Amino acid sequence: MFKKVTLEKRIDFVSALMEKGPLFAPVKGEKDFEFQRITDPSVVTLDFYNTSMSPKFVFFPQSEDLIRYRLVKNGAESAPVPIDTPPSVILGVRPCDAKSFEIMDRHFLGAGVIDPYWKERRDKTTVIGYPFDPRTQPDPADFYNALGIRAADTAGSDVLMIRRDGDLLLKSLTEKGSGLLTDLALSDGSADDERAFEEILREGNDLRSRFLEIQDSEIAGKLSRIFEDKDFWEKTAEACIGCGICTFVCPTCYCFDISDETLFNEGMRKRFWDACMFTDFTLEASGHNPRPKIFQRYRQKVCHKYAYHVGKYGCISCVGCGRCTRACPVNIDIFSVIEKALKR
Amino acid sequence: MTAIQQIEENLRREAKGMLERGEVSVVLGYARGLDEKHPQPYAAHKVDEVADLIFNEYCVHNLARYLTRYPPGTKIAVVVKAADSRAVVQLIQEEKVKREDLRLLGIPVTGMKDPKTGETIDRRTTGAVVNPVLYDVLLGEEIHGVQTGSPYDVLTELEAMETQERWGYWKKEFEKCIRCFACRKACPMCYCDPCFMDASRPRWADKSPTADGSLMYHLTRFYHLAGRCVDCGECSRACPVNIPLYLFHKKMAKECEAMFQQAAGMKCEDKPVMVTFGDQDSDEMLK
Amino acid sequence: MDFEPRIIGIACNWCTYTGADLAGTTRLKYPQNVRTVRVMCSSRINPSFVIRAFQLGADGVLVGGCHPGDCHYGTGNLYARRKLAITKKLLEFAGMEPGRFRVEWISASEGNKYAEVVESFTNDLKALGPQTRFRIGKERGGGQ
Repeated sequence: MFKKVTLEKRIDFVSALMEKGPLFAPVKGEKDFEFQRITDPSVVTLDFYNTSMSPKFVFFPQSEDLIRYRLVKNGAESAPVPIDTPPSVILGVRPCDAKSFEIMDRHFLGAGVIDPYWKERRDKTTVIGYPFDPRTQPDPADFYNALGIRAADTAGSDVLMIRRDGDLLLKSLTEKGSGLLTDLALSDGSADDERAFEEILREGNDLRSRFLEIQDSEIAGKLSRIFEDKDFWEKTAEACIGCGICTFVCPTCYCFDISDETLFNEGMRKRFWDACMFTDFTLEASGHNPRPKIFQRYRQKVCHKYAYHVGKYGCISCVGCGRCTRACPVNIDIFSVIEKALKR
Repeated sequence: MTAIQQIEENLRREAKGMLERGEVSVVLGYARGLDEKHPQPYAAHKVDEVADLIFNEYCVHNLARYLTRYPPGTKIAVVVKAADSRAVVQLIQEEKVKREDLRLLGIPVTGMKDPKTGETIDRRTTGAVVNPVLYDVLLGEEIHGVQTGSPYDVLTELEAMETQERWGYWKKEFEKCIRCFACRKACPMCYCDPCFMDASRPRWADKSPTADGSLMYHLTRFYHLAGRCVDCGECSRACPVNIPLYLFHKKMAKECEAMFQQAAGMKCEDKPVMVTFGDQDSDEMLK
Repeated sequence: MDFEPRIIGIACNWCTYTGADLAGTTRLKYPQNVRTVRVMCSSRINPSFVIRAFQLGADGVLVGGCHPGDCHYGTGNLYARRKLAITKKLLEFAGMEPGRFRVEWISASEGNKYAEVVESFTNDLKALGPQTRFRIGKERGGGQ
């Protein structure tokens, strides 16, 4: 299915999406762009490169209520919080982020235990992907190319959307995508539009960044071999301050903690994002901490994403979106670390 | 050669000399990151690593935060700009490092740029001191005649607000907090391990990013930094959601200076204001 | 229904707490709005206690210690004075109404001063009304 939304009809299109259910789309904040739940169609913007936080929060919110409870004499009364997501849409997801959803599916759905919260939201959300403009220079921090993801990759998207002189051209890729486009009753795109669409896709997919492509098995093997190379890791992590920004902006980081948060006698069991970069991430009840030093935690992050994840889930847990590099307070670039590791 | 290029050259020469003579075992400086506009803090341990050291207008990071990572007694040379040198002095006051274990390579410089935005850092958002307050070697010419104004001018708007309006302002800012703790880690004075936020008994703030927990975290941190913050601005630059932390830290610094006639990190022999009391103290300060 | 302010009073054992005791034993009449927490010295007070008290619903926080110079431990309240002064500025800049946090030096023999302070603080707080700014709301799962 191939549809077109002219510039004049743009706000109507966004409003129509909002009527179907929660819509998440990019919005310009004070300094950066962010995905937000939209309440006003006019704030949606497609004039952005990428958001500073990833859209993973749509499926995996930073804080999620699990069980509500009340402390009573000799115990607690509790009830699980029902998972009830209305059908939602995310508009304007870059190919690296769309791909990240598929990678995250491997942990949340394909690891033997199905995460009902992730599943519910994934099943009910339609992803409208938005390839990078092939005529725009990639941000120097991006390296999705090196991981085999193309500027116009379709993986993870239900609908693919590009802009052509202000008009939006939308092509459905999945049943969910077709369903959405049918429901919206949009006008069809012309044959000329389709040709332009395919052309832009092709240009996008031919785009090569300055990074060399790396092979999963190659980097996974190399990292395993240099695990004990303390000099390498200490040098690599010297600038790292162990904050947690990289983890929070990353589309493929998924560690979380669970805690019971009580106030007086009532409370909520919640899960919320955790970061392996935090000092107390591996702190044990005995007081022992297997990773007290920053270089150990940084090594863990890199090896998890580029080695252990390959072994366990069959792919690198990174999509080269560049957010960690852009957000890092000390400008550490993970791909430079990978390049150095390969050369070590 | 521009002044800043001369500084870089002087830096490499001094660092090389100090390492060769065994005066220090590590030189803390900056090196090229993804490109020159995104430098990384860097530690040169060997003479051949000195060539990696750079200095340019994007080298904003406060290297004093790395001093507390090394075992006590390690001889360290550290590149310091004005605010960074104050941070080092503050750490000396707090006995986290010894003066004799350090070689301070001072850099007087203005017009630094934020690597995230590429824009020149607004002078009003950082401290008024331009020349390092403590150094062993000065890598550039001292700068005189810079119109700095008071570092607290930028507080006028907030101070003039009614408390209700000011509460509304801070409430909105703290609600943005995602508890990444970059502010804490970027700060040279936040060396506590464990930090109060890591404690579970008592639990000061819940781990999930609730608004009340963020309020407790930030207000307590502002209190913990009172009289210790040197106005380097790193916390605010590190923040991914742009909370203007520097404004509150400046307010605390302003009050401490007014009450106790001492600014943070100026003289090694000072005692931090919150761990002492003075003959001049009176109940006036409680008004 | 008339608003009755809930005041958290943190009193040092040797002076203020004893002074409060004296107010009781001498049958002085004063409002019953203070929930007293006893600490050994005013310097024990962590400013986070004050923030927490407001978050948990206190309408006012009253700190009482020995007069400077008379601290049972010599110098405790001299440190406390600086801490509490900065805490006051912190709260005010954060946007908490200034009248809600009060520091008083009340000695063991000043039972009537204790009663007067509580009376005047309670009246001030009645005029200010309930504290809503820092208070954690019900939606957080918190009870009354």
